Amino acid sequence: MIGSIVLTIALSFSIISMIMYFLNYRGYKNTLNYGRIAYHGMAMLVIIASVFLWYIILTHQYQYDYVYSYSNNALRNLGLLHLASSFWGGQQGSFMLWLLLTSIVGIILQSYASKRGDLEPRVMAVFTLATTFLLVMVSPWFKNPFEYIWATPVFVKIEHINSQFLNTNIYPFLQSFFFSDQSTNQGFIQVSSDLVSKLSQAGISVNQFIIDGRGLNPQLLNFWMQIHPPILFSGFAMATVPFAFAIAALMKNDYRDWVRQAFPWMLAGMGVLGLGIMLGGYWAYEMLGWGGYWAWDPVENSSLIPWLVGVAGIHTLLVQKRSQAEGGIGRYAKTNLFLCVLTYVLVLYSTFLTRSGVLGDASVHSFVDPGMFVYLFLVLFIGTFLVLGVGMIAFRWKTLNENIVEEESLLSRELALFTAMIVLIASAIIILVGTSAPIFGQSVDTFFYNEMHVPLAIIIMFLNGLSLLIKWRKTDTRELIKQSIISTVGAVLFTVILILFAGVSDLMIILLSLTTAFSLFVNLDIAIKIVRGNFKMLGAYVAHIGIALFLLGVIGSSVYSQEVTVDLVKGKQASAFGYDLTFTGIYPIENNTKYAFNVDVKKGNSNYNMTPIMYRSDFNNSIVREPAILSLLTKDIYLSPLGYDEGGVDHTSGHKVTLSPGSEIDYEGIKLKYEEFIKPDMAAMMSGGDVEMGTKLIVTKDGKDYEISPLIKIKSGQFEYTPAEIEEANLKVEVSKIEQSNHNADLIISKINGDNTTPNQSNEILSVTASIKPFVNLVWAGVVIMVVGFFISMARRLKESRVIS
Amino acid sequence: MKNKYIFGGVIIAVFLVLMGYLFTQSNIEYADDFAKVMTTQKTVKATGIWVKEKSYQLDNKNKTFSFFMADENGNQMKVIYEGTIPNNFESAKNVVVTGKYQNGYFHAKDILTKCPSKYEEQKTSSSSL
Repeated sequence: MIGSIVLTIALSFSIISMIMYFLNYRGYKNTLNYGRIAYHGMAMLVIIASVFLWYIILTHQYQYDYVYSYSNNALRNLGLLHLASSFWGGQQGSFMLWLLLTSIVGIILQSYASKRGDLEPRVMAVFTLATTFLLVMVSPWFKNPFEYIWATPVFVKIEHINSQFLNTNIYPFLQSFFFSDQSTNQGFIQVSSDLVSKLSQAGISVNQFIIDGRGLNPQLLNFWMQIHPPILFSGFAMATVPFAFAIAALMKNDYRDWVRQAFPWMLAGMGVLGLGIMLGGYWAYEMLGWGGYWAWDPVENSSLIPWLVGVAGIHTLLVQKRSQAEGGIGRYAKTNLFLCVLTYVLVLYSTFLTRSGVLGDASVHSFVDPGMFVYLFLVLFIGTFLVLGVGMIAFRWKTLNENIVEEESLLSRELALFTAMIVLIASAIIILVGTSAPIFGQSVDTFFYNEMHVPLAIIIMFLNGLSLLIKWRKTDTRELIKQSIISTVGAVLFTVILILFAGVSDLMIILLSLTTAFSLFVNLDIAIKIVRGNFKMLGAYVAHIGIALFLLGVIGSSVYSQEVTVDLVKGKQASAFGYDLTFTGIYPIENNTKYAFNVDVKKGNSNYNMTPIMYRSDFNNSIVREPAILSLLTKDIYLSPLGYDEGGVDHTSGHKVTLSPGSEIDYEGIKLKYEEFIKPDMAAMMSGGDVEMGTKLIVTKDGKDYEISPLIKIKSGQFEYTPAEIEEANLKVEVSKIEQSNHNADLIISKINGDNTTPNQSNEILSVTASIKPFVNLVWAGVVIMVVGFFISMARRLKESRVIS
Repeated sequence: MKNKYIFGGVIIAVFLVLMGYLFTQSNIEYADDFAKVMTTQKTVKATGIWVKEKSYQLDNKNKTFSFFMADENGNQMKVIYEGTIPNNFESAKNVVVTGKYQNGYFHAKDILTKCPSKYEEQKTSSSSL
């Protein structure tokens, strides 16, 4: 209740602030202070609501639906960060996080804008429109994180209920709220407002009644996944600012100052967003075990699109700022307004794609369908900002006159940066089309993105080098050749070495390596020349060096990655890519909840140890596999576990299958059906006597049915296996294991008189996919260097932004 | 201003054409009618429900994972995936498989499992005592 009230008051403050700032812009002088007070009041209330959300998570108040759904008691034992990250584990909380970060960005923005002329009322009027929409999103009508659990009747697992109240003699009313699932024997209590009122009559609070929650998906319990959302949403929040500046400029119909003022925000925002996107990729690499960091998954793509558009905007903003010296508003004024508007609109579109349920069938990550109202509200959110932005540009179109007579010369930095923007936008359009296709019942294979991006990357890297060699306005061709000769020769040499020694043969990859190396050398050359005493000028070069290193890492780790599936028999050495792998054993970790598989890795005199992990998670009742990564300087060795065979009873080398009751398989033309599970005698089991259990199978060969029952006997604690044979079908079936929970049986099928009856050693086998990722470290290092470059540039542009023309 | 439009226009035009071509090449359609899935030669994304009653089979020797899927009309088909059981599969309800139907089986290159939303799951699995 408290949380919802605080958020509702914050919403009204946000609206008041928006109106006051707008009135101030329209000429009402005394409303400026009201706008400021209302904004800070709103921000404080949002912070209070967020602290309160953390408080109810940390104190396990399971009467809140959000706390019950995304946290549990066990998370506390894993560390406070894990529990605290429940804040953004679900949809409601991630909107809350976005709102929180936007509010904080707004406090900084207000202070920034108040020091820059008459900027504040216009910028803040637009910015508070965004906070208003976000506040409506988390309000009690939509995605409220403070909704009580009984608002929509929920079935709560019996284990999550305080057992002292589960006594129908004392609390007879509970009987009518008890449900059970017959197939799994799982009991539930239906928590509805009806139950809550009966509980309170009996003097029990919901908080006492529900004592544990569902928890988080174990794959999210990873450091990188916990810091990824706050950083990504910081980038989203900061993308609001250039939008607000663009609209503010359109409101005043003055297009000179806004460029300088928006520039540091754009740089910082895209730096943070880029880092956030990379952390998501790093998490996928470290946690999901498919060996990559980028799958062109809609969730990844949808945050990359605004980043590409924003980065495109950075390049043309720079041109406009520079060309203002020639008088007028500068080149590409319309383009820049449009790109700043589009960056934020695409952030909103990203939210729409991942949270409206439209990509339900396309992505693993997409949140579930939130319902029609949320869907429509998200459409309204995007629509409002798109219409506002594009509408304002259209409205001012005629007055948006650049007044530039002189055309860009072919060899001018202006034109090179404009072309870079176009290429980045082309990339954004491609990803946008591919990612949006599922809305229309279509989809694209990932090669669509890969094939399209190789030529784009070649052009981008060429421009990346060239644009820094050529000068503003005009370049002397002879001087250009003189300056570029070292980098060009270096790049050619580098590529020749790659072709000769690394076996690079694909033409497009050769071209990409060539332009990437060219860009790397050009930027390094300039960076080294200017590094002394002029550190703050380095930003662009550092960012471009980062991108070049990143691309080299991408080429190495994707094009030259090798992968092989190996069965590691315990104690026996297997080999992959010149490394000797030996599976030495299995041991439990983290309070016996997970199993680590110890693999010794050896090459020459170097010995390493790798431990992929597998476990059954209670959260989704599934097996979870975590890869092991051995990070060497020039490559990563990546072991992704596939499965583990305990061996032991596997003393025939027959065909092993796992069957569940009712299912059937074909074995060399013979049909086997698992008819039913032969239950052990419970009484005998209790009294410690001999127990017998097994599988009843129907075998069909040549139209004839046979019934057989291979058995497992437990005699004084020892297992004994009794296979069943059908001589006519030349078939022998042994049951080696029956799972207790679902009665799935492991069967070993073999021929009676075949060559496959030789007894085998009792072997434990770990199956893994081993892969080698050359220079994957450059991917991470490249992005980090690039982000550092963004921030060096930001520091420089921040100083320039103080100048008012 | 001519250079600007020539450069921008040519690049965008070239990539739009290239994109259009590759889009048709890499296009995979969603299909929720298995009768169609079984007759088409094309790679599709088949969406349906995992037939839980028939469970799934793990063949350790051939390293394949197979299960049955049904569409809304009740048409069933067997899906074979070269690989191991995907994470989360056991709690899945809806499944999206990408691949081709050949020789009586659907050969999946990729499996995507959709877990039921929390309310739905309980409604279907609960029955009063």
